[in-house]
Amino acid sequence: MVTYGGDEVSALVLDIGTSTTRAGYAGDDTPKAIIPTCYGYKSATPSDGDVQMEDTPATEGESATEKSKPKVSMYIGNNGPSIWREDMEIAEPVSGSIIEDFAPIPSIISHAFRDIMRCDITEHPVLVTEAAWNTPANRERMAEIMFEEFQVPAFYIANTGVLNAFAAGKGSALVIDIGASTASVTPVVDGFVLRKGLAHSALPKLVHAHAQHLLTTQTATRPGIQLLPHQLIANKQAVDPGTPPRFTLREERVAGTTESYRKYYEAKEVDEWIQSVAGVLEQGWNDQLANQRGARHYEFPTGYNYYFGSERYSVGELFYTHSPSLVNSNPNLPKSIPTLISTSLAACDPDLRQVLMGNVVLTGGGSLFPGFLERLSTELSRHFTHVKIHAPGNPTERRYGGWLGGSILASLGTFHQLWISREEWLEHGKAIVGQRCK
Amino acid sequence: MGPLAADVRSVFDLPGPSNANAGAAPPTQNPARKTQPKKPEGMKRELYSLIGPNANPTLPVQLTKPRLKQKPNLGSGRRVKWEWRPFKNAGRTDGLQLSHWVKAGGDPNAEYLYAKYNIQNTVQQYSQDEYTRLLDVDKNWTKEETDYLFQIVQEYDGRFYVIADRYEYPDGPGRSLEEIKDRYFSICRKLVRNRPWAGDEASKASLISSLSYDKERDIARKKYLASLETRTPEQIAEEEALYIELKRLEQNERRFKKDRDDLLRTLLGIESGLPDIPTEDELPGQTPTSTSSLFIDTKKTKKRGGIGAGDLETPVLASALSSHVAALSQAVPKKAQSAKSAAYDAHHFITRSDPPPTNKNTHVPTYVRSYKLPAAKSASAAKIAQIMGELGISHTRLVMPTKENTAHLEGLLEAANSLIEMKKAVDKVEADIRTAQARLNMRASEAEGGGAEGGEGVMELDEEADGAEEAGEDGRAQSVASVRSARSVGARQRKNRRSMSISSVDTSATGVGSHKKKKRRAD
Repeated sequence: MVTYGGDEVSALVLDIGTSTTRAGYAGDDTPKAIIPTCYGYKSATPSDGDVQMEDTPATEGESATEKSKPKVSMYIGNNGPSIWREDMEIAEPVSGSIIEDFAPIPSIISHAFRDIMRCDITEHPVLVTEAAWNTPANRERMAEIMFEEFQVPAFYIANTGVLNAFAAGKGSALVIDIGASTASVTPVVDGFVLRKGLAHSALPKLVHAHAQHLLTTQTATRPGIQLLPHQLIANKQAVDPGTPPRFTLREERVAGTTESYRKYYEAKEVDEWIQSVAGVLEQGWNDQLANQRGARHYEFPTGYNYYFGSERYSVGELFYTHSPSLVNSNPNLPKSIPTLISTSLAACDPDLRQVLMGNVVLTGGGSLFPGFLERLSTELSRHFTHVKIHAPGNPTERRYGGWLGGSILASLGTFHQLWISREEWLEHGKAIVGQRCK
Repeated sequence: MGPLAADVRSVFDLPGPSNANAGAAPPTQNPARKTQPKKPEGMKRELYSLIGPNANPTLPVQLTKPRLKQKPNLGSGRRVKWEWRPFKNAGRTDGLQLSHWVKAGGDPNAEYLYAKYNIQNTVQQYSQDEYTRLLDVDKNWTKEETDYLFQIVQEYDGRFYVIADRYEYPDGPGRSLEEIKDRYFSICRKLVRNRPWAGDEASKASLISSLSYDKERDIARKKYLASLETRTPEQIAEEEALYIELKRLEQNERRFKKDRDDLLRTLLGIESGLPDIPTEDELPGQTPTSTSSLFIDTKKTKKRGGIGAGDLETPVLASALSSHVAALSQAVPKKAQSAKSAAYDAHHFITRSDPPPTNKNTHVPTYVRSYKLPAAKSASAAKIAQIMGELGISHTRLVMPTKENTAHLEGLLEAANSLIEMKKAVDKVEADIRTAQARLNMRASEAEGGGAEGGEGVMELDEEADGAEEAGEDGRAQSVASVRSARSVGARQRKNRRSMSISSVDTSATGVGSHKKKKRRAD
């Protein structure tokens, strides 16, 4: 079809985020492979001779790489960190939307493309996404992995801010992206990020930490909640809301659970709680209103269940306002969303502000809090006269906006002259990445 | 499908069952039967002979084989072969071969479809000589930085917002968007101006004007824009309050002016020099002077008359002229009509009536004649209704409100009216005669007894006349503010007022009383 300017060259799109890695074919509307970016690993002791034994399960769905680090078996993918294994550690290669540890990245990419999508990477051009604040060294490393390890014919690295704007069908936009670890406000003009107007903070982490603190600390009405995953629970009994849980632990597993695994599953339990219970008040914080909203029931894997009232709104409220006591206790608190927007706009040209406010794109899984969009529009309309927010109603589009934009971009006929080809890579080296991918 | 009775009969050449029963049926019935409606298609012959032609009309449709929706005709029907073919993009400098699906049989060496969208912006270039001769005027910019500027402008296709964002000249001062634009456009202007120009002067001028950029003005504009955005809510509220205050003051001013004019007009009358009629419909900005009102006068008459431009005419002349023209314009089309279509009207029984004369040139919509039946005057309506009732005619409704009938009715009403008038006059005269007779009789009797009562009657009459005169003077005094001492008048007025108040009390009392009565009744 020529009607929409598309020309499929069967490119692959790879979007590595803090919590999940998305991979799929350009031109699709959803990624084919969505796997956690976290991975499990066991550092085998030298005396432990049964490396072969670790390899056998790896062929079933997990990939064990012995080339890079021979003493480590890795557990990647949907059956990786989520399955309990004795002495398995969990590591996060990506933090703050930037790849910090490149060692497991090839395994993750290989797992997504080869094991899940079952395609030969050497035949497909690959478009990779990056955060707007990614370092040049990082993107060059990424290009190196793609060209040297995977032998891709062509490669391109594009900015998630720009791709989110493209996914919304806009060339110029103010992209508000609430990810798993970072909230960012990116002004995009004609498909270019204005780097001076870029603002981001680890706001979702603060929200997460607050939720965890809320759950684990004792209150007047309930005790502190034990955050245990169902992998560690042998059996449990139904109990009334608010009463202490009755369950038995898998004692044989408790000993073999590592600290990083415990942290990982605690975070996971908090995330689940946030996703099913937490919300944002549409019209700003109001104690009375928050109490009126009605409590919501949630049951933890231990069997403990409770009706959560206004506290579920205090979690989402952290995106917009920080209480003075919190500000005083923590001087480098992540900036709230209104602050991020105002700092971003202040760095932009006065002429652009109107354009950007008329094209606000809200994206990222963190923006799926109930009431988040309404709250954003009330906050923005308080300061600006003409605000138009584009937020996809479809959760998949909201969560994988960056991937979707990449899918659109990589299937455009006019884009195919921008690929960095293997030939160019060999001729110019790393410099070509910075030149081509502006 | 066994043979039917009819088949058997036809084989043995037997008459039909009905024929057999009737016996005396004429043989002409057979051919008539044959012309009966045909059996609908798709229906079994046996079924048709069972249910006959009078069956439900939808039945044949139900029984026919459903016709499937016609299949879309996709091209010629033969298969189109696509193939996965590598292609080369002319927009690329390297030999990257990507593959895509294309229809087989196309030219394998055809240019890539999207290569044509790869359009490079033409950016001005300058030589070293040109730079030293023309462009080395700004001490703020070095040749190297200018080179960098031109390179980055080309790199980002002249998107200055992006350029200002990405502008990073090593060891150079930070450049704002305005500085970058100013430098770039000033160089381009100089180059265009000083180079030999192939085209005409107009195109050169337009190119230069398209390259114009006023840095100071742009900075000032952006400053205003920024200050507009940084207004606090209090400032915005204050601004709005001020605006409303201004509007209110304007309105007050206008009202004061109107009140003053009204006062002047009542005090001085025509001497105030103000137009007689307060022009309410004037525009708020205009002052209600006599000239402006005159001007409006001419305008109005012009509109009515439909004359063309003629601003210098005096209003009198204009109105005279306009009325003349109006008369003409009314007369002319009527004549034409009568000449042309009199015969037509006569043939089609069309009667044309003149529109009822109206004081304004408002449009009179079409109406049914029965709606505009002549109505009796309200004063004598009851009596007329009585007369009509005696005659057995309902004058509010005509069964046939033809033109003649309405005319007749109108005549009748008029006659009835005049009859009533006549009767009134007769009654009055008769009453006069009676009183006169009575007086005469009294005189005759008084002449016998003698009397001073006649003088009293005359005095009463005088007083009445006096009161009437005074009332008239009252009215004048109000309007003209006469200097005449109004002591006597005042006294009389007070008297009047008292009597008025008494009467009003009376009426109100009766009113209340009746009201109460009604209430009681309601209770």
